[in-house]
Amino acid sequence: MNINKTQNGDKTVFTLSGRLDTTTAPKLQETLIPEFDTAKQIELNFSELAYVSSAGLRVLLMGEKAAKAKGASLTLVNVSDEIMEVFEMTGFAEILNVE
Amino acid sequence: MITVKNMRKSFGEHDVIKGITTTIEKGEIITIIGPSGTGKSTFLRALNMLDPPTDGVVEFEGKNLTDKKTDINEIRKKMGMVFQSFNLFAHMSVLDNLCVGQTKLLGIPRAEAEETARELLATVGLSEKADAYPDQLSGGQKQRVAIARCLSMKPDIMLFDEPTSALDPTMVGEVTAVIKRLAQSGMTMAIVTHEMEFARNVSTRILYMDEGGIYEEGPPDVIFVNPKREKTRAFIHRIKSYRYTITSEGFDFIEMMNNLILFCETNALSKAGAYKAQLIVEELANLMPKSEPADLTFSFPENQSLFTVTAEYGGEARDILANDEMEAIMVKSGTESVTHEYESGRNRLTVTWKPNQKI
Ligand SMILES: Nc1ncnc2c1ncn2[C@@H]1O[C@H](COP(=O)(O)OP(=O)(O)O)[C@@H](O)[C@H]1O
Ligand SMILES: [Mg+2]
Repeated sequence: MNINKTQNGDKTVFTLSGRLDTTTAPKLQETLIPEFDTAKQIELNFSELAYVSSAGLRVLLMGEKAAKAKGASLTLVNVSDEIMEVFEMTGFAEILNVE
Repeated sequence: MITVKNMRKSFGEHDVIKGITTTIEKGEIITIIGPSGTGKSTFLRALNMLDPPTDGVVEFEGKNLTDKKTDINEIRKKMGMVFQSFNLFAHMSVLDNLCVGQTKLLGIPRAEAEETARELLATVGLSEKADAYPDQLSGGQKQRVAIARCLSMKPDIMLFDEPTSALDPTMVGEVTAVIKRLAQSGMTMAIVTHEMEFARNVSTRILYMDEGGIYEEGPPDVIFVNPKREKTRAFIHRIKSYRYTITSEGFDFIEMMNNLILFCETNALSKAGAYKAQLIVEELANLMPKSEPADLTFSFPENQSLFTVTAEYGGEARDILANDEMEAIMVKSGTESVTHEYESGRNRLTVTWKPNQKI
């Protein structure tokens, strides 16, 4: 998985490509969580992300909690149908902010 | 009738048979099935010492065939063998083919041998071909003559090595019909074949050979309907399957997933189908205890009507999905069935789903 960070005004955008799974989830965790120390608006662009497993969901949940704790926002955009199904079946569709 | 103990057979470094222990009782009809190159022919040839085993014992009617003092030629008369290629004497008529063994090896007078030969030709439906030469016969007819010739030696057991494999499909039936009739007459037989319908109908017991031995055996209704072990299932159902063995905590996750992704692509799985298979394999791989080797198998029949992931792992009886952790939820959602079994120290968890089910 590749993570590409860009700044769009006040918004910090991470574009993920590849697979967010057991082996790559730690990388997202290391990149994303510390970002909440400074950024107020974080967007995860899933347009090139093919796959998310429970290991990935855990990191997204940590991100959501970090955002709440710091009074910041975490938004997911361009989520594929398959990944959306995973969010729905695990109840993550309710927890995450998916646009 | 035949007892095999710890039979091993190697060709140089290549261990083909790594230990077979079994018995064949009088009147049994054993069919040996399995993928090519698993040693089925080697096993048959070792039974009658055509190519003796490297190690182990074969007893036939109480005599140890692996013992140098045993007269193998005497024994071989009692063990008929029919090969894929028909092995008839090309320069002899059908009748002579059927008489030569009787007169030369059994010392039976020509007239009596001829009488037996004609009876046997009648039983294989070839009475009118007595004076024909082998090259005037079709493949199916040649094979029926080969069977009759074998019977002319009055064997106690018949060994068949793929008797229909060299035949045009239209001729398979006439040969299997002859073998079936022989089965009904009470002849003891061991048959290697790829004709599954035939195997199912004719046999009293099926030996599925794989991994250098008898991988699974049982009555045809068990082996063909509900085989216990993964490779037997894959073979019987011509299932496409991907199998990965995890040998330690630090197993190569990326290799497992990349090969699975490739397998999904090769077999033209839908995006959702491939996603679901990968998800279930990944979550199960993380959940499975790994102190003993653990296996994950993803399989489906050619028509992709049902998908199955099986996780096999050791240790105590434990259903790794009996909790509400995220991994378990992932695996259990949108499935057709989830079952857990425990037998002789192995857990087997089977998850199935249909193509139209959500991830
Ligand atoms: N005479 C031989 N010399 C060397 N290798 C052999 C010989 N016969 C068989 N093999 C090897 O043993 C393995 C099993 O062969 P075989 O018994 O013919 O398998 P099957 O009948 O199940 O297709 C194969 O890998 C084959 O190449
Ligand atoms: Mg063979």
